[in-house]
Amino acid sequence: MIAAGAASVGPHIFWITSRAAGTAALVLSSASVGAGLLIGRRAGPGKGLGGDAKAFHEALSLATLVAIAIHGLALLGDHFLHPTLLDISIPFTGAYRPFWTGAGIVAGWALAALGLSYYARGRIGQSRWRSLHRTTAVFWILGIVHSLGSGTDAGQPWFLLVLAVSAAPALVLLLGRLIRAPAQPSISR
Amino acid sequence: MDDPHRLEAKGLARAKIRGKRRRVREIRRRTIRGSLALFATAWAIVFGQLVTGNDPALSRGYTTPRKLIASKHHGRPPPSAPLPAPEESAEVPAVPVEPESAPEAEFAPELETAPAPEPAPAPEPVVTSAS
Repeated sequence: MIAAGAASVGPHIFWITSRAAGTAALVLSSASVGAGLLIGRRAGPGKGLGGDAKAFHEALSLATLVAIAIHGLALLGDHFLHPTLLDISIPFTGAYRPFWTGAGIVAGWALAALGLSYYARGRIGQSRWRSLHRTTAVFWILGIVHSLGSGTDAGQPWFLLVLAVSAAPALVLLLGRLIRAPAQPSISR
Repeated sequence: MDDPHRLEAKGLARAKIRGKRRRVREIRRRTIRGSLALFATAWAIVFGQLVTGNDPALSRGYTTPRKLIASKHHGRPPPSAPLPAPEESAEVPAVPVEPESAPEAEFAPELETAPAPEPAPAPEPVVTSAS
Protein backbone atom coordinates (compact mmCIF):
# COMPACT_ATOMS: atom_id res chain seq x y z
CA MET A 1 0.00 0.00 0.00
CA ILE A 2 2.81 2.36 0.92
CA ALA A 3 4.61 1.50 -2.32
CA ALA A 4 1.46 2.24 -4.33
CA GLY A 5 0.95 5.42 -2.38
CA ALA A 6 4.56 6.41 -2.90
CA ALA A 7 4.17 5.93 -6.64
CA SER A 8 1.14 8.20 -6.71
CA VAL A 9 2.95 10.71 -4.51
CA GLY A 10 5.90 10.84 -6.91
CA PRO A 11 4.72 13.88 -8.87
CA HIS A 12 4.17 15.73 -5.59
CA ILE A 13 7.66 15.39 -4.17
CA PHE A 14 8.40 19.09 -4.59
CA TRP A 15 5.02 20.03 -3.16
CA ILE A 16 5.62 17.86 -0.09
CA THR A 17 9.13 19.25 0.29
CA SER A 18 7.88 22.81 0.13
CA ARG A 19 5.20 22.18 2.74
CA ALA A 20 7.64 20.38 5.04
CA ALA A 21 10.20 23.16 4.66
CA GLY A 22 7.52 25.77 5.39
CA THR A 23 6.56 23.98 8.58
CA ALA A 24 10.21 23.65 9.58
CA ALA A 25 10.75 27.35 8.85
CA LEU A 26 7.83 28.24 11.06
CA VAL A 27 9.11 26.21 14.00
CA LEU A 28 12.71 27.35 13.55
CA SER A 29 11.77 31.03 13.22
CA SER A 30 9.60 30.79 16.32
CA ALA A 31 12.47 29.22 18.25
CA SER A 32 14.85 31.84 16.90
CA VAL A 33 12.59 34.74 17.85
CA GLY A 34 12.12 33.18 21.29
CA ALA A 35 15.87 32.80 21.75
CA GLY A 36 16.43 36.37 20.58
CA LEU A 37 13.88 37.71 23.02
CA LEU A 38 15.49 35.71 25.82
CA ILE A 39 18.88 37.20 24.96
CA GLY A 40 17.39 40.69 25.03
CA ARG A 41 15.69 39.93 28.31
CA ARG A 42 18.90 38.84 29.94
CA ALA A 43 20.66 42.07 28.98
CA GLY A 44 22.75 42.26 32.14
CA PRO A 45 23.08 39.21 34.34
CA GLY A 46 24.00 35.61 33.48
CA LYS A 47 27.01 36.23 31.27
CA GLY A 48 27.94 32.55 31.12
CA LEU A 49 25.05 31.51 28.93
CA GLY A 50 25.06 34.66 26.81
CA GLY A 51 27.51 33.38 24.20
CA ASP A 52 25.76 30.06 23.90
CA ALA A 53 22.35 31.66 23.58
CA LYS A 54 23.66 33.97 20.88
CA ALA A 55 25.21 31.07 19.00
CA PHE A 56 21.94 29.17 19.28
CA HIS A 57 19.97 32.20 18.07
CA GLU A 58 22.32 32.67 15.13
CA ALA A 59 22.23 29.00 14.14
CA LEU A 60 18.44 28.93 14.36
CA SER A 61 18.17 32.08 12.26
CA LEU A 62 20.40 30.65 9.54
CA ALA A 63 18.49 27.36 9.61
CA THR A 64 15.26 29.35 9.25
CA LEU A 65 16.59 31.16 6.19
CA VAL A 66 17.65 27.87 4.60
CA ALA A 67 14.21 26.40 5.29
CA ILE A 68 12.50 29.47 3.80
CA ALA A 69 14.68 29.20 0.69
CA ILE A 70 13.80 25.51 0.30
CA HIS A 71 10.13 26.33 0.92
CA GLY A 72 10.09 28.74 -2.01
CA LEU A 73 12.51 27.08 -4.39
CA ALA A 74 10.96 23.62 -4.08
CA LEU A 75 7.79 25.03 -5.63
CA LEU A 76 9.67 25.67 -8.86
CA GLY A 77 9.79 21.92 -9.42
CA ASP A 78 6.09 21.40 -8.85
CA HIS A 79 4.34 20.48 -12.09
CA PHE A 80 0.86 21.33 -10.86
CA LEU A 81 1.29 24.86 -9.55
CA HIS A 82 4.17 25.46 -11.93
CA PRO A 83 5.17 28.88 -10.57
CA THR A 84 7.87 30.96 -12.16
CA LEU A 85 10.82 32.44 -10.30
CA LEU A 86 8.98 35.77 -10.34
CA ASP A 87 5.88 34.17 -8.81
CA ILE A 88 7.84 32.95 -5.81
CA SER A 89 10.06 35.98 -5.39
CA ILE A 90 7.88 39.00 -6.12
CA PRO A 91 4.97 39.50 -3.75
CA PHE A 92 1.35 39.51 -4.94
CA THR A 93 2.11 38.35 -8.48
CA GLY A 94 1.47 34.61 -8.25
CA ALA A 95 -1.74 32.82 -9.20
CA TYR A 96 -2.00 30.86 -5.97
CA ARG A 97 -3.73 32.94 -3.28
CA PRO A 98 -1.80 36.08 -4.23
CA PHE A 99 -2.46 38.01 -1.03
CA TRP A 100 -1.46 35.32 1.46
CA THR A 101 1.41 34.09 -0.66
CA GLY A 102 2.54 37.68 -1.14
CA ALA A 103 2.52 38.17 2.61
CA GLY A 104 4.76 35.14 2.93
CA ILE A 105 7.15 36.42 0.28
CA VAL A 106 7.38 39.80 2.02
CA ALA A 107 8.01 38.04 5.33
CA GLY A 108 10.64 35.79 3.77
CA TRP A 109 12.60 38.61 2.17
CA ALA A 110 12.37 40.75 5.30
CA LEU A 111 13.54 37.93 7.56
CA ALA A 112 16.44 37.27 5.20
CA ALA A 113 17.44 40.92 5.08
CA LEU A 114 17.08 41.47 8.82
CA GLY A 115 18.77 38.21 9.70
CA LEU A 116 21.74 38.70 7.40
CA SER A 117 22.10 42.33 8.45
CA TYR A 118 23.74 40.91 11.58
CA TYR A 119 26.90 40.42 9.53
CA ALA A 120 26.82 44.02 8.36
CA ARG A 121 26.07 45.62 11.72
CA GLY A 122 29.48 47.24 11.75
CA ARG A 123 28.51 49.27 8.70
CA ILE A 124 24.93 49.84 9.75
CA GLY A 125 25.82 50.90 13.25
CA GLN A 126 25.08 48.89 16.36
CA SER A 127 22.14 50.92 17.66
CA ARG A 128 20.53 51.30 14.23
CA TRP A 129 20.97 47.60 13.60
CA ARG A 130 19.36 46.79 16.95
CA SER A 131 16.30 48.89 16.27
CA LEU A 132 16.07 47.32 12.80
CA HIS A 133 16.51 43.85 14.25
CA ARG A 134 13.57 44.37 16.58
CA THR A 135 11.20 44.55 13.62
CA THR A 136 12.02 40.89 12.91
CA ALA A 137 9.13 39.91 15.18
CA VAL A 138 6.67 41.73 12.90
CA PHE A 139 7.77 39.67 9.91
CA TRP A 140 7.79 36.49 11.95
CA ILE A 141 4.12 37.16 12.76
CA LEU A 142 3.52 37.90 9.07
CA GLY A 143 5.01 34.49 8.32
CA ILE A 144 2.57 32.89 10.73
CA VAL A 145 -0.30 34.78 9.09
CA HIS A 146 0.94 33.53 5.70
CA SER A 147 1.01 29.93 6.95
CA LEU A 148 -2.54 30.19 8.25
CA GLY A 149 -3.82 32.01 5.17
CA SER A 150 -2.26 29.99 2.39
CA GLY A 151 -0.83 26.93 4.09
CA THR A 152 -2.30 23.72 2.76
CA ASP A 153 -2.05 22.17 6.21
CA ALA A 154 -3.39 25.22 8.04
CA GLY A 155 -6.54 23.42 9.11
CA GLN A 156 -4.81 20.22 10.14
CA PRO A 157 -4.72 19.47 13.87
CA TRP A 158 -1.07 18.43 13.79
CA PHE A 159 -0.09 21.70 12.14
CA LEU A 160 -2.07 23.81 14.57
CA LEU A 161 -0.52 21.90 17.46
CA VAL A 162 2.98 22.44 16.08
CA LEU A 163 2.22 26.11 15.54
CA ALA A 164 0.81 26.56 19.03
CA VAL A 165 3.65 24.73 20.76
CA SER A 166 6.38 26.54 18.83
CA ALA A 167 4.93 30.03 18.52
CA ALA A 168 3.20 30.45 21.88
CA PRO A 169 6.38 30.78 24.01
CA ALA A 170 7.84 33.35 21.64
CA LEU A 171 4.54 35.25 21.55
CA VAL A 172 4.43 35.33 25.35
CA LEU A 173 8.00 36.61 25.45
CA LEU A 174 7.20 39.20 22.81
CA LEU A 175 4.16 40.41 24.71
CA GLY A 176 6.27 40.56 27.86
CA ARG A 177 8.82 42.66 26.02
CA LEU A 178 6.18 44.99 24.60
CA ILE A 179 4.60 45.47 28.01
CA ARG A 180 7.95 46.04 29.68
CA ALA A 181 9.34 48.29 26.97
CA PRO A 182 7.50 51.51 27.80
CA ALA A 183 8.38 51.12 31.46
CA GLN A 184 12.08 50.59 30.87
CA PRO A 185 13.02 52.51 27.74
CA SER A 186 16.68 52.85 28.66
CA ILE A 187 17.41 49.13 29.06
CA SER A 188 17.58 48.45 25.35
CA ARG A 189 20.40 50.91 24.84
CA MET B 1 61.12 36.35 29.86
CA ASP B 2 57.43 36.23 30.47
CA ASP B 3 56.09 36.18 33.91
CA PRO B 4 54.81 32.64 34.73
CA HIS B 5 51.58 34.14 36.00
CA ARG B 6 51.11 35.92 32.74
CA LEU B 7 51.78 32.72 30.79
CA GLU B 8 49.28 30.92 32.90
CA ALA B 9 46.69 33.61 32.30
CA LYS B 10 47.33 33.43 28.56
CA GLY B 11 46.95 29.67 28.62
CA LEU B 12 43.72 29.97 30.54
CA ALA B 13 42.40 32.57 28.14
CA ARG B 14 43.29 30.38 25.18
CA ALA B 15 41.60 27.38 26.78
CA LYS B 16 38.56 29.48 27.46
CA ILE B 17 38.39 30.64 23.85
CA ARG B 18 38.92 27.08 22.63
CA GLY B 19 36.15 25.86 24.93
CA LYS B 20 33.80 28.56 23.70
CA ARG B 21 34.53 27.73 20.08
CA ARG B 22 33.90 24.05 20.79
CA ARG B 23 30.60 24.88 22.46
CA VAL B 24 29.51 27.08 19.58
CA ARG B 25 30.43 24.35 17.09
CA GLU B 26 28.45 21.83 19.11
CA ILE B 27 25.43 24.17 19.24
CA ARG B 28 25.58 24.64 15.47
CA ARG B 29 25.87 20.91 14.88
CA ARG B 30 22.93 20.22 17.16
CA THR B 31 20.83 22.92 15.50
CA ILE B 32 21.56 21.48 12.06
CA ARG B 33 20.71 17.97 13.26
CA GLY B 34 17.53 19.20 14.94
CA SER B 35 16.50 21.18 11.86
CA LEU B 36 17.01 18.16 9.62
CA ALA B 37 15.02 15.98 12.00
CA LEU B 38 12.25 18.57 12.08
CA PHE B 39 12.17 18.78 8.29
CA ALA B 40 12.18 14.99 7.96
CA THR B 41 9.32 14.67 10.46
CA ALA B 42 7.24 17.30 8.69
CA TRP B 43 7.99 15.61 5.36
CA ALA B 44 6.91 12.24 6.73
CA ILE B 45 3.67 13.67 8.11
CA VAL B 46 2.74 15.32 4.80
CA PHE B 47 3.77 12.20 2.90
CA GLY B 48 1.66 10.08 5.25
CA GLN B 49 -1.31 12.35 4.65
CA LEU B 50 -0.96 11.94 0.91
CA VAL B 51 -0.45 8.18 1.00
CA THR B 52 -3.42 7.58 3.29
CA GLY B 53 -5.65 9.89 1.28
CA ASN B 54 -6.05 12.43 4.04
CA ASP B 55 -4.25 15.26 2.36
CA PRO B 56 -6.20 18.51 2.69
CA ALA B 57 -5.12 19.72 -0.75
CA LEU B 58 -6.40 16.65 -2.55
CA SER B 59 -9.45 15.75 -0.53
CA ARG B 60 -12.91 15.76 -2.08
CA GLY B 61 -14.97 18.85 -1.43
CA TYR B 62 -11.95 21.10 -1.04
CA THR B 63 -11.10 22.68 -4.34
CA THR B 64 -7.80 24.39 -3.97
CA PRO B 65 -6.25 26.55 -6.65
CA ARG B 66 -3.83 23.65 -7.00
CA LYS B 67 -6.62 21.52 -8.39
CA LEU B 68 -7.96 24.33 -10.55
CA ILE B 69 -4.58 25.21 -11.95
CA ALA B 70 -3.83 21.55 -12.60
CA SER B 71 -7.05 21.02 -14.49
CA LYS B 72 -7.17 24.34 -16.32
CA HIS B 73 -3.60 24.93 -17.38
CA HIS B 74 -2.30 21.46 -17.77
CA GLY B 75 -5.43 19.54 -18.60
CA ARG B 76 -4.44 17.01 -15.97
CA PRO B 77 -6.81 15.52 -13.47
CA PRO B 78 -6.12 15.93 -9.80
CA PRO B 79 -3.44 13.57 -8.52
CA SER B 80 -4.13 9.89 -8.25
CA ALA B 81 -3.78 9.68 -4.48
CA PRO B 82 -6.76 7.96 -2.89
CA LEU B 83 -9.51 10.29 -1.84
CA PRO B 84 -11.03 10.24 1.61
CA ALA B 85 -14.70 9.83 2.35
CA PRO B 86 -16.66 13.08 1.96
CA GLU B 87 -17.31 13.37 5.69
CA GLU B 88 -13.57 13.30 6.37
CA SER B 89 -13.01 16.64 4.73
CA ALA B 90 -14.34 19.19 7.13
CA GLU B 91 -13.07 22.20 5.25
CA VAL B 92 -15.46 24.58 3.61
CA PRO B 93 -14.84 24.60 -0.12
CA ALA B 94 -12.73 27.59 -1.09
CA VAL B 95 -14.38 27.65 -4.50
CA PRO B 96 -17.85 26.26 -5.14
CA VAL B 97 -17.38 22.67 -6.15
CA GLU B 98 -19.22 21.47 -9.17
CA PRO B 99 -21.81 18.84 -8.36
CA GLU B 100 -20.90 15.24 -8.96
CA SER B 101 -21.58 14.05 -12.47
CA ALA B 102 -22.94 10.67 -11.37
CA PRO B 103 -26.32 11.87 -10.05
CA GLU B 104 -26.93 13.87 -13.23
CA ALA B 105 -26.33 10.80 -15.34
CA GLU B 106 -28.78 8.84 -13.24
CA PHE B 107 -31.56 11.37 -13.56
CA ALA B 108 -31.16 12.12 -17.24
CA PRO B 109 -32.62 8.84 -18.64
CA GLU B 110 -35.60 9.07 -16.32
CA LEU B 111 -36.43 12.50 -17.65
CA GLU B 112 -36.18 11.27 -21.19
CA THR B 113 -38.48 8.29 -20.68
CA ALA B 114 -41.01 10.23 -18.67
CA PRO B 115 -40.84 13.79 -19.93
CA ALA B 116 -44.27 14.91 -18.83
CA PRO B 117 -44.45 15.66 -15.14
CA GLU B 118 -47.76 14.75 -13.61
CA PRO B 119 -48.68 17.13 -10.88
CA ALA B 120 -52.41 16.67 -11.30
CA PRO B 121 -52.91 13.03 -10.23
CA ALA B 122 -51.46 13.63 -6.82
CA PRO B 123 -53.99 16.19 -5.61
CA GLU B 124 -56.90 14.31 -7.12
CA PRO B 125 -57.11 11.49 -4.62
CA VAL B 126 -56.79 13.94 -1.77
CA VAL B 127 -59.74 15.95 -3.05
CA THR B 128 -61.90 12.90 -3.63
CA SER B 129 -61.17 11.35 -0.26
CA ALA B 130 -61.89 14.61 1.53
CA SER B 131 -65.18 15.08 -0.25
